[in-house]
This record gives sequence, C-alpha cells and structure tokens, in this order.
Amino acid sequence: MDKIRRALLGQIAKLTAGAALVPLSSLASAGINDQPPRREGDPEKRYGMLIDLRACIGCQACTVSCHIENEAPLGSFRTIVSQYEVEHDETGDSATFMLPRLCNHCENPPCVPVCPVQATFQRKDGIVVVDSDVCVGCAYCVQACPYDARFINEYTQTADKCTFCAHRLDVGLLPACVESCVGGARIIGDIRDPDSQISRMMKEHYSELMVLKPEMGTAPHVFYLGMDERFVSRPDAKPAIWDVRDQQGEEIGYEFSGH
Amino acid sequence: MNSAVIEVLAPRYGIAWYPWAVQYFFLIAVSYSALLLTVPGLLFGRKNYESLAKVALLVTVSCTLVGPVALLADLHQPLRFWHFYANLTPWSWMSIGSLLLPVYLMLVVAYAWLAWRPAMQVQAQSEGWIAKISGWVCLGQWQAPRWMLVVAGLGALVLSVGIMVYTGAEVAIVKARPLWNTHWLPVMFVLTGVVAAAGLVILINRLMTGNDRDVNEQSLKVIVVTMILSALVAALWISEGITGFSPSVEQAFASLQRNPEWRAVAIYGLLVGIALTLTAIVMLRRPGWLGRSWIAGLLAVHIGWTFRWMVLMEVQTVAKNTAGYYHYAIEAGSSGLMGIIGTFGLWLAALLIIDILVPWKKSLQAGAH
Repeated sequence: MDKIRRALLGQIAKLTAGAALVPLSSLASAGINDQPPRREGDPEKRYGMLIDLRACIGCQACTVSCHIENEAPLGSFRTIVSQYEVEHDETGDSATFMLPRLCNHCENPPCVPVCPVQATFQRKDGIVVVDSDVCVGCAYCVQACPYDARFINEYTQTADKCTFCAHRLDVGLLPACVESCVGGARIIGDIRDPDSQISRMMKEHYSELMVLKPEMGTAPHVFYLGMDERFVSRPDAKPAIWDVRDQQGEEIGYEFSGH
Repeated sequence: MNSAVIEVLAPRYGIAWYPWAVQYFFLIAVSYSALLLTVPGLLFGRKNYESLAKVALLVTVSCTLVGPVALLADLHQPLRFWHFYANLTPWSWMSIGSLLLPVYLMLVVAYAWLAWRPAMQVQAQSEGWIAKISGWVCLGQWQAPRWMLVVAGLGALVLSVGIMVYTGAEVAIVKARPLWNTHWLPVMFVLTGVVAAAGLVILINRLMTGNDRDVNEQSLKVIVVTMILSALVAALWISEGITGFSPSVEQAFASLQRNPEWRAVAIYGLLVGIALTLTAIVMLRRPGWLGRSWIAGLLAVHIGWTFRWMVLMEVQTVAKNTAGYYHYAIEAGSSGLMGIIGTFGLWLAALLIIDILVPWKKSLQAGAH
C-alpha cells in the first residue's frame, strides 16, 4: 500500500519539478502557505476513496443522495458525475465516459493553508473539513481548489465541500454517495488498514490507478480505476448544454450559475 | 488516438470573488503607489516635487480609507472580520494581509495628518464650523517636530512594501489558476498600480487644482517609465509560456487556446498600452500639450483598473475542469454594479470631505498658470 503512495508521489514529483523554478515556492518553504498541523479525527486512519469507473453508469444517484444528505443549496454540488460523449475520429464510433467528481481529500490540500482563519482544516484521518462557525466566507479556498470541489453555500454564506460524509463515517455509516451507488463503483475505507476493501483493491490494481491533476502536486486520495488519461486534467472537450432556458429565453432555476 | 469529446452536462461554477475584490486591489494599489509619489516632495523635502506630493498625498489617503471597505464587503460574512484577529494564521497570506492592512492604514493617516496639520492649525484660528473641526482634528496648537512626519512616512513606506508583497503573493500562489500562478503577477500589480496612481494624480490635478505643470510632467514621466517596465514584464511572462520555462504559464496559455475573446483582450491591452505610452511621450515632448495630460491620466486609470478586472474577474470564468468558458454577467446589485459604483462614490465622498476640511492645496495654486 505504501508502495503505491510512494509511486504516486514520485509521479507527482516528476510532474511538478518545474515548479521549483518559481521563486514564490522558496517563500513557501519558509513557512508561508505550508500545511498546518492536522487536528481532530482518528490518527490511526487515513480515509481514501477508490472509484471503479468500470462500474459507474452515470445515474447521478450519488449526486442526488449527497444533495439530500448534506442539504446543499439548489445548483451547488459536493459531488457530481461529469458525463462525456467520446467520438472516435476515424471510425466514428461513440462511447460515453463517466467521471464522478468530489473533494479529493488531498495529502497536500491547497485549500487548507490559504484559509486566513483556520476554518478549513485537515483531520488526522485525512478528511478535509470546514468549520462553518469560523469561516468568514472569503472564498480563498474556493479559488485554491484545482478540482472545483468547493463553493460558497448561499444559505450559510460560508465555504462548503464534500466531507466524505464524516458525520456518517464517525458513527459507522457509509457516505451517502457510496451507499446509493447502484454499481458499487465507490469504495471508501481506511487505506492504512491492509485488510480493508480499498486497500486490497489498491494493491490488486496498483498499476492502473490514476488521480486527477497530479501536476498540481496535491496528492489526491480519490483514486480512479478504469480511468482514461485524457480526462485526468481538464479534458479538451466541447460543452453540449450550458444552461437550460425556457421558451422566453429565461434561465430555468436549476442551472448552475448561482452562488 | 484522436477523438472528439463532448461534455454532455457542463456545470457552471459561480464566481467566488466579486467586483469588490477588483475595487480593493485597485484602491490599495493606487494607495501604495501614490504614497511612493509623495516621497521626494514630502519626505525628502525636494522643492520641485512638492506639488506632486500634495496631490499624491490626497490620492493616497482617500484610497487607503476606502480600499479596506471594499475588501470587507467581499467577505460573504463581513461581520465575522474579527475572526481574522481571533484566529491568527501566520501561514496564510490573507491572514498576514489582515495584520498589515490596519497598521498601514494608520501610518498613512498619521503621515497625512502630520503633513496637513500646520495648515489646519492656521485654519483653526479663523471663524466658522470648518475652523472648529480643524481645531479638533489638530489636537491642539503644539508644533509637531519633523521627525514625527519622517517616522510615520517611513513606517507607511515599509508597510506599503508588505501590502505590495501580500496582495501579489496572495493571488500568485494559487496554482489552481495557472493564469494567476506566476511570480510576475505581483510585479505587474505594482507597475500597473503606479501607472493608475500617476494617472489619478493627473486627473485630480486637472479637476481640483490649477492643472500644475510640474505635476503633469512628473506624473507623465512616471507613466512612461512604468509602462516600459510593464511591457518588459509582459514580454518575459509570455516568453516563459512559449519556451515552457514555466509549466504554469504554459498551462495558462493552453487554457485560453483558440479563444477569440481572450485574443481580443490581449490585442486590446497591447493597443491601449502603446497608446498611453506614446501619448505620454508626445505630451512630454510638446510642452504646449502638457495641459491636456488628463487624456493620458484617464487612459492610465483605465489600464490600472481594467488589468485588475481581467485578472481577478475574467480569469474566474476560465473553467478549471469543465469544458468551455463561463460567461460572467455583472449583476446590478451590491455584489456587482452597485458595488463598483458605491465604492467609487465612497471614494469621491472621502475626497470631497478631505477637500472641504483640509487646506491641502495651500501654496499649490500659486505655482499654477
């Protein structure tokens, strides 16, 4: 297990070696923008998620169940499944590709050190959370996340994000998205426990696992199985539906421009 | 393998920083830049820069007072601003900024108070409510020694470097937005800030004083030098992207590839930059045209403000993960248009209140023509 983490980190290190040329990173090594100490959570555990894309049918059950469980405002999502239609240039064959997105609970989360009031922090079990009683809503973390995993909740006016349903995990339940996944594509667990399902699967599929945007140096802890490397970073794609409008050309409520 | 990919449902993510942020970054940059312009005349006592220092001091004080208001408004929970001081976070650039900003503000106000105080003390001797208020503001008729002004000015200057570094670094460290993630961004913020401050000084000089020749000439020179430096920085940034020296800048270029709107923005920026530089050079060479420096002043303010609009607002419309670009339509309400107008309105109010209470242009019009 540690092997794979080392391998992933090594891959990331290669990709980000160029960033060492940026003088600002030398400032960062002096302490500013460094990861603060983790707090709360079980230090014995490290939660991670493995998403078996071969089993994802893009039904959005995870999107809906998360939305209900976590009472996100309409139009804001803690998780969503990106759906792509891929057409082969020569044969013209088309296929669909589903990519569930959520917070990656990175080992090096860029959203945490930017927070000016320590409202967002990483627990010792790796879960990145926000204390909405402390958050000032500066949205710096929203900018800093390379995965669009954060948003400003329009009800609370504070930063909101996926917590791996920490409130459910802490009482022995599965996250809403995992529980509702019809294909069983989402596997959550403690990657420090060698007998957990996620650890066993990570060991078995060691060489096939990919993470999103490794070039950002964030060391994500959501691992994808059956991933196509063209989708690892922002895919070169055309948008099909931007927003949905009624006959008068007015945007219908559920489009995503709200904040 | 080549293939065409369509993102079937492309979610749009909302703008997280509102135009308030543009207003803050603009006002605070004008503030520290105008502060620099006061240095030769006020701090070093160079006679031929005294008029420039007088106008620049008004600009720096008014912008320093209003900038933090816009910053506060950009928080979604503005009343929780005290959390910044209850949870000191030395590893966050924004937290560092929250400590620097109030000290900077107080030092700038102290510097201006000491500079304006002698004239206000004279004003306090006369009759009327302005004289009365002047008396209160002066806190008595005692003479402040010059070292107090020098200490406040030097202190403000030191803190202004902190403001330059923190405002620039705060944005430039965000790797998730490659268009921000360059060490040239803080430099460009300062350079365009100086351009805008010199432009605003020219405009105030035209509107509120006798269009002093020295002020126009010195400000135009500042504009020419900083515009040339800006062009150099832009060229270096572009070359870092083209050569791949900086993978982040390379990524930034890739994120805008084949986008006609961004190409238009780049061309517009280049043209306005050339127009301003040439206008300033021509005006400096033909002394008869100096009186029309306000044209260059308008252009300079436009460049300083629009640069921040593009960097802070439009870059947020470049999707991090989804296909296409978001369309940002500015709202009419306080997080949009009203916020922009309101900030400028507040600035104008601050400017006029100071103008009513402080005889800041004393002995300035004498040198005018």
